[in-house]
Amino acid sequence: MRRVTAMTRALLPPVWRSLPRRALAAAAAVGLLLAAVPRLQSGPPDPLVGLYSLRAAALVLALGLAFLLDDPARHITSAVPVRRPVRVALRVALVAPWAALTWTTALLLVPESSRPPAGALTLEAAATAVLALAAAALSIRRTRTTEPGAAISTWLLATGVTAALLLPPDWTLFVTPDDPHWHSTHDRWTLLLIVAAALAARSVTEPLRGRPFRRPSPEPL
Amino acid sequence: MSDLSSVPSAAPTVSAAGLTLRYGGTAALDDVSVRLGEGVTGLLGPNGAGKTTLLRVLATAVPPDKGAFTVLGNDPGTSAGRQEVRRALGYLPQAPGFHPDFSAFEFVDYVAILKELTDRTARHREVRRVLDAVALSDVRSKRIKKLSGGMRQRVALAAALVGDPGFLVLDEPTVGLDPEQRMRFRELIARAGEGRTVLLSTHQTEDVAMLCHRVIVMVRGRVRFEGTPAELTARAAGRVWSSTERDPGAWAGWRTGTGSFRNVGEPPEGADMVEPTLEDGYLLTLDGESSEVAPA
Repeated sequence: MRRVTAMTRALLPPVWRSLPRRALAAAAAVGLLLAAVPRLQSGPPDPLVGLYSLRAAALVLALGLAFLLDDPARHITSAVPVRRPVRVALRVALVAPWAALTWTTALLLVPESSRPPAGALTLEAAATAVLALAAAALSIRRTRTTEPGAAISTWLLATGVTAALLLPPDWTLFVTPDDPHWHSTHDRWTLLLIVAAALAARSVTEPLRGRPFRRPSPEPL
Repeated sequence: MSDLSSVPSAAPTVSAAGLTLRYGGTAALDDVSVRLGEGVTGLLGPNGAGKTTLLRVLATAVPPDKGAFTVLGNDPGTSAGRQEVRRALGYLPQAPGFHPDFSAFEFVDYVAILKELTDRTARHREVRRVLDAVALSDVRSKRIKKLSGGMRQRVALAAALVGDPGFLVLDEPTVGLDPEQRMRFRELIARAGEGRTVLLSTHQTEDVAMLCHRVIVMVRGRVRFEGTPAELTARAAGRVWSSTERDPGAWAGWRTGTGSFRNVGEPPEGADMVEPTLEDGYLLTLDGESSEVAPA
């Protein structure tokens, strides 16, 4: 345990320095700007503007998080004793306070009168962010890419827009708070969050065997 | 095939049997069995032969679909075994990437932490040692993005050497280096091969001739030759000749600096035979499967 603590402490500075801070900072800046749109508007507060501003902010923050696992030195560090899940967990732990703070600020930027239910919107934001991370982790597991961020954020943006425009009413993820399906829609968001988290957890592990999962011959080598 | 007794080599430190790895429908490795001992073993083969895949498998960067291997007595097919293999491993991948804002020292130090060297004083001593070994002490505080290509390769080699690994996997470390840098790298690799197992993938037959005590030739995911460089060279004995004109019967032929043609293949009667090189033996081992050598 002491060894793990010592290693984690030693890893913190280089992992912090290797974070894609530019992408994260840009996502935070654009996300907060989008969340501030209802405040910049003249006239009475519009709850729909608040809702879509926050959704746009959540998507932009997730686009930034898609870069979190970018690691140009991935191949050099692909065969080290410190396991990949530990390294990924450290990155997530370092960024989680920033993400929570940015999202809270985004929520507070929307005037209370036009702010949608914060819990439900936070669920949507969390599911989108975890989906971005899961996709990046999967990309790293399945390909030799070192920096999947740009491709994953493009995919996420396209998927978000496609989901908003093309999902049939029974499957839609984007409804307004006065919609009778608001609660059932957020059950789907919860399911999406669980599936994305499970996919992310599975993708960061390093498989011991290849795809056919065949054990080596039992004879000693 | 997973019977290691069929693979010839004495005192192996790395043994692999029946390694198979498919990408889609293509077998990048097809039933590969090798044994490596102490010293530098060269891995030759045309592009797409499976060299990098074999190195990645042996470095535990990717698991094989089939087959098994051990490194210094540890089986990476188990979680604990893989950890032990990684503790004993130094890996220099093809086209290594870096965090460009790190200095050489910071980057090697980062890799050292990932190799579980947690004691700061001892770790920094080790980082200085390996940077000194690759002659980068003078530029250790310089940002990696400001280093030349050759220096970056040496940073990657230093990262691989951290912790004094017993098994060193080097994937085309001399690619893109100028002749002087390549010579320096050869010195480093030769030194690294003293007392440890080094597997060196390269396209440079000169590297193999100068550094390796054994050589493996891979073609289309399979091992086509395994033996000493002298044995590979001997394959071309009596099959290399010189002529004033390009010989249409030769498998490969090219005009040399002296103006005469050097031909490799089945010589005509009365041909002016010349001493074969390792490259000749390698070309004949490929037997027309290289995409890089145009038959005459």
